[in-house]
Amino acid sequence: MIDVHALSVSLGHRQILHDVSFSAPPGAVTAVIGPNGSGKSTLMKALCRDYAYDGTVSLNGHDLASLSLVQAATWRAVLPQASSLPFPFTVREVVALGLTAGRSGLPLGMVRQLPDMALAAVDLAGFGGRYYGEISGGEQQRVQLARVLCQVWIPVLDGVPRYLFLDEPVSSLDVKHQLMIMDVARRYADAGGGVIAILHDLNLAAMYADTILALRDGRVAGFGAPGAVLTDQLISQVFDCPLRVGVAPPAGWPFVLPQSVGRRHASDLNIKVA
Amino acid sequence: MADAMTMSRTSLAADRPDGDRSALGRVAIFLLAILLLAMMILSMTTGASGASASTIIGGWFGLVPDHAEQVLRDHAVIYNIRLPRMVLGAMVGAALAVSGLLMQGLFRNPLADPGLVGVSAGAGLGAVSIIVLGTTMLAPLTAFLGLYALQIASFLGGLATTFILYRVATRSGQTAIATMLLAGIAIGALAGAITGVLVYVATDSQLRDLTFWGLGSLSGANWTKIAASGPIITISLIAAAFLSKGLNALTLGEATAAHLGVPVQRFKLLTILAVAGATGASVAVSGGIGFVGIVVPHLLRLVIGPDHRYLLPATALLGASFLLLADAVSRLIVAPAELPIGIITAAFGGPFFLWILLRKRAAFAW
Repeated sequence: MIDVHALSVSLGHRQILHDVSFSAPPGAVTAVIGPNGSGKSTLMKALCRDYAYDGTVSLNGHDLASLSLVQAATWRAVLPQASSLPFPFTVREVVALGLTAGRSGLPLGMVRQLPDMALAAVDLAGFGGRYYGEISGGEQQRVQLARVLCQVWIPVLDGVPRYLFLDEPVSSLDVKHQLMIMDVARRYADAGGGVIAILHDLNLAAMYADTILALRDGRVAGFGAPGAVLTDQLISQVFDCPLRVGVAPPAGWPFVLPQSVGRRHASDLNIKVA
Repeated sequence: MADAMTMSRTSLAADRPDGDRSALGRVAIFLLAILLLAMMILSMTTGASGASASTIIGGWFGLVPDHAEQVLRDHAVIYNIRLPRMVLGAMVGAALAVSGLLMQGLFRNPLADPGLVGVSAGAGLGAVSIIVLGTTMLAPLTAFLGLYALQIASFLGGLATTFILYRVATRSGQTAIATMLLAGIAIGALAGAITGVLVYVATDSQLRDLTFWGLGSLSGANWTKIAASGPIITISLIAAAFLSKGLNALTLGEATAAHLGVPVQRFKLLTILAVAGATGASVAVSGGIGFVGIVVPHLLRLVIGPDHRYLLPATALLGASFLLLADAVSRLIVAPAELPIGIITAAFGGPFFLWILLRKRAAFAW
């Protein structure tokens, strides 16, 4: 369980987050939504201890501030927004960096194959020998997710749930891979782990999240089940722009929604739809 | 050369479709150890005098009883001149190459090198201070530190410059390459200016010491220098061996390294200490030998990849071999005189550095 109580973060003289409280239980996907500058990434960085904060954050009942780096690395893995590498690593070598200090939870003999298993999980099987700098941005993002998965591969270790912190995990992916990555997150939660993901796509949040945290101007504007948070009034207010929930556009305007195929929690995305 | 490098790089990756180069790294370390052994033998058998190691070894087994006098002379040449020179050359080469590699990892930048960014100049300033002021202003210090005065002053000079450089060039874990190189130039120039003042006030005999020291040469190698610099270099290299996993994680950035469980602040401090120790102790005994720290890690990165668990030992071995080879060339090329070794490494390293710049300009936005 992740419990955040009265979290405030100031950068310089500006207070970015005001009195944010919420909890993210294991077994659930918690999506964080909000406009640019609402404090989503700041919240994530505070949860990762990159920024100093006031208030308390506890991870599995332990105060985050007093947790050792190695213990923290064992309990949660963090997917950053963008990563460039100064040296020519292969894709497999980048994924294997996830094994630096954390505990994958696999027996030693299987750890050697773990990078390949993680690559397969993000639909990049066979990419191990490519150079990280020579693949596309979307592929790099999936490689980083594979690295993050390596760090906390088994969702529940020694009876203690582990967490994925995902900062915009699908922002540069095509729609198929957006669904595929969110499926990875969903499966991780279904297996007993926890997921906190910053999402810009409200449809993905509606599809995959058990709980949505809506931020506006560094304050919690809404927190609850998707049906409770994604209401016309609340999201119009949060995003400062007229929005309607669950209403088809006027006849003749095409709109594309993965939900419409009725494939929530679908397991195999490699079924060729076309 | 560029084409051959690019090709070998591509084909090596293609040989391992799973992208796991650890076996390659192990083979490379093994081969480089053999290369170092060969270079040590070359170093022992090269020189102005005709002394040959085989006479000595023959003498041990009583195979050359008729040339007792020659054996004695050769014995002196080998044990008092060539052996210390070989040991010092290998140590300094490994130290220079590894400190380059450590700085590149610390700054997340393949162009960082103690020689290029002013760390060697800072270490040099430390050494020159002791040579010039060691009998006057700094006399208590030299008396206290004794044999190690020069080494420790160099270490402190290198440490100070590395810290300043890091503080200036790195902001919240990100190093801008231009800032780093420009800050390095400024720090190097400042250290050079102070060194210049010291040289200006130096006495004639001090000037002679300075000239010998500053040539960038292994020619003055002796057991005393090894006793003074050897321990510092050895400790720095052993410390470096424990940094490889952290350096790998640090390539993802400081925040991500911390998320992976690396204690980043302590790690950076240890890295800076190792760089200053290795650079300082090398500069103290051999003056400025440039480009080893940039050429050796870069070449190896092309062949075995940037995984520091293999790159670090490979860099130490190739650095030692490279300096022994350069030293042998410097003794042979104008025999019986010898060129300062810094000329050889710069003549090879300068063009190599330009090649890296051109290649990166074309292919990568590192």
